[in-house]
Amino acid sequence: MTKLNISNEPKILILATLAGGYAGADSTGQSHVDYPANTYILPVMCPVMFPPEFFIRAYERGIDGIILMYSGTDSPYKVEAEGTAKLINATYALMKERGIDTRRLRLAAICTVCVKPFLKEVNNMHNLLKGIGFVKSELKSHPAPLQGAKS
Amino acid sequence: MNNVKVDALVIGGGIAGMQAALDLGDQGYQVALVEKEPSIGGKMITLSKVFPTLDCCSCITTPKMSAVAHHPNIQMFTYCEVESVDQQENGFDVSVLQKPRYVNADTCTGCRLCEYACPITVPSSFDRGLGSYRTARVPFSTAVPQIAVLDIENCILCGKCEKVCPVGAIDFTQQPETFSIDTTSIVLATGFELTDLDAKNEYGAGELPNVIDPLMMERFLAPTGPYGRVLRPGDGMEPMTIAYVQCAGSRDETLGIEYCSRTCCMYAIKQSMLISGALPLAEVTIYYMDIRTFGKGYEQFYQNAKAMGVEFVRGKVAKITEDENHNPVVRVERTEEGDVVERTFDLVVLSLGMVAGDPLSKFGLTPAEDGYIKIPSVNASPCETRRPGIFVTGTAGGPMDIVDSIVTASAAASAASAYIRSKTQVGIEEREVAHV
Amino acid sequence: MSEKPKIAVYTCYCGGNISHTVKCEQVAKLLAEQPDVVVSRTNMSLCSDAGQSQIEEDIRELGVNRVVIGACAPSLHEQTFRKTVIRAGLNPYLYHHIGLREQDSWVHTCDADGATCKAVRLMAAGVAKARLLDPLEPIQLEAEKRALVIGGGVAGLRAALDIADQGLKVVLVEKTPFLGGRMAQLDTVFPTGEEAHILLADLIDKVVNHDKITIFTQTEVTKVSGYVGNYGIQLTQHSRGVSAENAKALQDACQQMVADEFNYGLTERKVIYQPYHGCYPPLPAVDWEHYNGEPININGKSEILKDEIQQFELSAGAVVVATGFDPYVPREGEYGYSELPQVVTLPQLIRHMALNPGAKSLEWQGHKVRDIVLIHCVGSREIEGIDEPQEDGQVNNYCSRVCCTATLHMIEELRENFPKLNIYDLYQDIRTYGRGHEDYYINALDNGTRFVRYHGEEKPKVFAAPKGDTHPVLVHVTDALTYNQELEIPVDLVVLATGMQPRQIDDLVKMLKVSRGNDRFLLEVHPKLRPVETAVNGVILAGTAQGPMNIQESISAASAAAAKVISLLGSGQVELQPFVAAVDPEKCNGTGACVEACEYEDAIALETFVEDGKEVTRAVVTPANCTGCGACVAVCPNRAIDVQGWTLAQYEAMVDAIAMDIVDLVEAG
Repeated sequence: MTKLNISNEPKILILATLAGGYAGADSTGQSHVDYPANTYILPVMCPVMFPPEFFIRAYERGIDGIILMYSGTDSPYKVEAEGTAKLINATYALMKERGIDTRRLRLAAICTVCVKPFLKEVNNMHNLLKGIGFVKSELKSHPAPLQGAKS
Repeated sequence: MNNVKVDALVIGGGIAGMQAALDLGDQGYQVALVEKEPSIGGKMITLSKVFPTLDCCSCITTPKMSAVAHHPNIQMFTYCEVESVDQQENGFDVSVLQKPRYVNADTCTGCRLCEYACPITVPSSFDRGLGSYRTARVPFSTAVPQIAVLDIENCILCGKCEKVCPVGAIDFTQQPETFSIDTTSIVLATGFELTDLDAKNEYGAGELPNVIDPLMMERFLAPTGPYGRVLRPGDGMEPMTIAYVQCAGSRDETLGIEYCSRTCCMYAIKQSMLISGALPLAEVTIYYMDIRTFGKGYEQFYQNAKAMGVEFVRGKVAKITEDENHNPVVRVERTEEGDVVERTFDLVVLSLGMVAGDPLSKFGLTPAEDGYIKIPSVNASPCETRRPGIFVTGTAGGPMDIVDSIVTASAAASAASAYIRSKTQVGIEEREVAHV
Repeated sequence: MSEKPKIAVYTCYCGGNISHTVKCEQVAKLLAEQPDVVVSRTNMSLCSDAGQSQIEEDIRELGVNRVVIGACAPSLHEQTFRKTVIRAGLNPYLYHHIGLREQDSWVHTCDADGATCKAVRLMAAGVAKARLLDPLEPIQLEAEKRALVIGGGVAGLRAALDIADQGLKVVLVEKTPFLGGRMAQLDTVFPTGEEAHILLADLIDKVVNHDKITIFTQTEVTKVSGYVGNYGIQLTQHSRGVSAENAKALQDACQQMVADEFNYGLTERKVIYQPYHGCYPPLPAVDWEHYNGEPININGKSEILKDEIQQFELSAGAVVVATGFDPYVPREGEYGYSELPQVVTLPQLIRHMALNPGAKSLEWQGHKVRDIVLIHCVGSREIEGIDEPQEDGQVNNYCSRVCCTATLHMIEELRENFPKLNIYDLYQDIRTYGRGHEDYYINALDNGTRFVRYHGEEKPKVFAAPKGDTHPVLVHVTDALTYNQELEIPVDLVVLATGMQPRQIDDLVKMLKVSRGNDRFLLEVHPKLRPVETAVNGVILAGTAQGPMNIQESISAASAAAAKVISLLGSGQVELQPFVAAVDPEKCNGTGACVEACEYEDAIALETFVEDGKEVTRAVVTPANCTGCGACVAVCPNRAIDVQGWTLAQYEAMVDAIAMDIVDLVEAG
């Protein structure tokens, strides 16, 4: 077996709604367009379930950029557009407190056939992280462990 | 064998037959599916990837095969042929011949030890003669059911298979058996055959080793294919220039096939794209009269192929010969340039058309002029034949692609279920108040 | 969780689709090293029967109690494998699916190592999630055995009839006052030459007389709530404005004339109208959109017509969308349309012929037509960068499927009726693909029709001829059949074979939460796996709402849609996925933050119980009303509530796996 060449690139976590971004990522795949491989897409039903602490925890564990690909006002969930915006604002505040560059978190409305917007978001984040580097360098102090967080 | 009693009998286990059986089964009707080959899957299971999504074909077909095999309302009869259909008062009495597998289907586990032990190798019809398989074998890797079959024609009766079989399933004494299926309705999904590779003298009458049919190319491109790569059958060379000759078996008065076979434009374009992936340096040229990419997403597919560098040349190919190295030479009148040229290729694929599959007489039906089942009222009941209770789906009713076959299969299921209900229904529930 | 996780991991080659990029063997080997993984395998095609049997065998033989599969997109085969694990006796929600094809191998073709590392991390995340999975039971709900069919054209009628024939109730709604849709506007249909209105009348007759079908005309869907099995629908119906008693008198007395859209504006009609003889319902209706509100005088009395809008509420288990298409209307000046009176669309010519049966010669606006040109692909097969985009900025880059045969069908009719007519057919590719369609082309080639082939990049041009010319219009075209010769064709009439456009049904699309494809037609889940179903459970497509189709194809699609509805509702029960909020009673102390955050009626409430003699207040979820959005999860200070199957702890575990440094793992492997 040939040895695997592991790149040391910043990692991008993409939380993508099943009705929006996740399907958009599948559409992108069906179009067979290449984009950077340091992108990890996790399906979510609706992003309002994540408390701001979830994002901070992810940065602490070594995720360098997060894109929330949601369906915005076209969501099957009433709360998605407004609720997610609120959540993101709260997270930005926490990120500032912790000295994390807020550009590491992006909210983007991606629909099921949004191939171009999907690629744009991914490439923008990829290029940004190339410039600003790993999140580890930004995390200033050690926080108190989150309530109930798994160690 | 016991007599079988069902609501619907589906004849043909290709994609259309499987879908029709699944839809009827899902509606709660009892279904029997009869397939003449030892495995269901039809032509579709032999394909590589399918247009316009370029999904791997197995990924679409095998789950349906599996769903048929596991469906509580579907009984599957493989390696069986319908012999006759008799009209009964409330349906049909269908006589079915179970061909001998020479393997006990109840005990065989599909372990393939017989296959490994068998010393006789014959050209594989699954691979359209490009590869080979053993005389005792499981039909192909994803076959359903996974039961071995013994090709007695080529068997030397050495008994090696019998010796290795851990469950003693080999049975050289099996005889054909006839059983009957009592059914209310019948769905014909008997599919198509490719027009013959040797039909046209102008195209080498099947004598040119490097002129192949499209299903052979599918096997070259399929990951489960005999070589796992594209090469030319004449000498195993990797082809660098490949031509597709469109309408090689359709829209051709001399063949008596004046109709369009509907799928050839798209499969030629698809294969060209897959060849570009498999052989990045290969050049593909498609000679065509009209490009008929009419389906949903098909026109974009065609435009993508053009953008990828597939060459489209409008012109009818007049003649195919070969040079001393068995390289096919294509003579074509190019209508846009207004000239006649000869060009040598490494490999030529004839985009053959579709002709009707099984003969219709045993179903008491007569073909239309084009050889396919006559559908009396296409714009009212596109799945109904002239015999009430007998429905048609997929390419048994004329050329069509997989997408259309699947939709007509569900439509035939709908038509058959309405018929079954009309034959068995009792009482009518109360009517709702209408607000017109 | 009671039992120790024993996880089986499968990395599918997908017949080469994944393995051509991702080094599947390496992925499998590395995953085998993960804690709790008892077996890690690859397979050429895991979804095949053999692949599924392998999974079943592992569950049975090795005691596997969690399954992780990396294969194609979960939208394709997640359900397939759920059934597989059920067969082996495992709870279907103890399996997790990762898309390694659409989101990995197909999009990182130039970076095999990157794609492989990504696969390892995603699969490891899957294992991490699997470890925390709990068995779940689907929510069983009573389903309303009634389907709503939207659209009273041929597809809607057919779908309604097929569903009703299986004993389910159907409510059929039609926006206009009459049934029949676009098919009613056709004269004869290919390939049989039957008269459209006779075929349609037969179908309408069956629908109208079916005891299971309720019809609402002049009605639109104005509200949709609920979910599969239990959609709550609000219908808004306009009144007919006339009654059987006064219809004739009112219609006779009515003076207001408007353009008749049934004849594509070729004629005028009154605002109290019937589009054609024999239409259903037979009672005329008022065209409220155009009625000017002026009184109408009958028997010395003047009457002002009033639209009384009524609303109805109903529940339906499934919705069939059969809203049809709109014919493409050329832009002003496109091939001279609406600038030159001698330029018409094919649908207009069809109506013109139908309105003048038995005419000795083809006349247009009082002038005899001697030379006619028909141009294909108007509003279809448009090319980005060459053709002017539509209003929404997109070009119609699809083929409309029916126009070639429709045009050649028209040519056959013209030739039969007017043998001396000179006919020119300007096309790109003749697409007479259907059974019996090619005959029209062969006949046209034999009957003296002059075919001219143009390129999409170089469209024909239509001009007004100089005054005093023999013909009013000149058509310039470069003919690829005669070595790109430049032709100037003087003609009396130009016919534009216009394609199909998606309808303006944005409100409905929003209400039903269905999606459109790149071509803006409604999108199916998968063209082969689920060709008439949308991504919204219980919303099914029929006919040209999904894309261009001819009548035969629309009927097939409608019958297919009916088959899906029957399978879905026939048993009177539907299953919903169990992905709803669940409260951990150990942790909940009744803060009520979740109740405040919830936007849904009756989905969550605080309840007080007496336990061990003490009063405790806790949140209680009503699963049928919960959508699983998780708004409650983010706000709970005690982490006492989670969406089943999608818990916060599972996400945290997945994040950890993705963040994992796999260098050590690789070296160990």
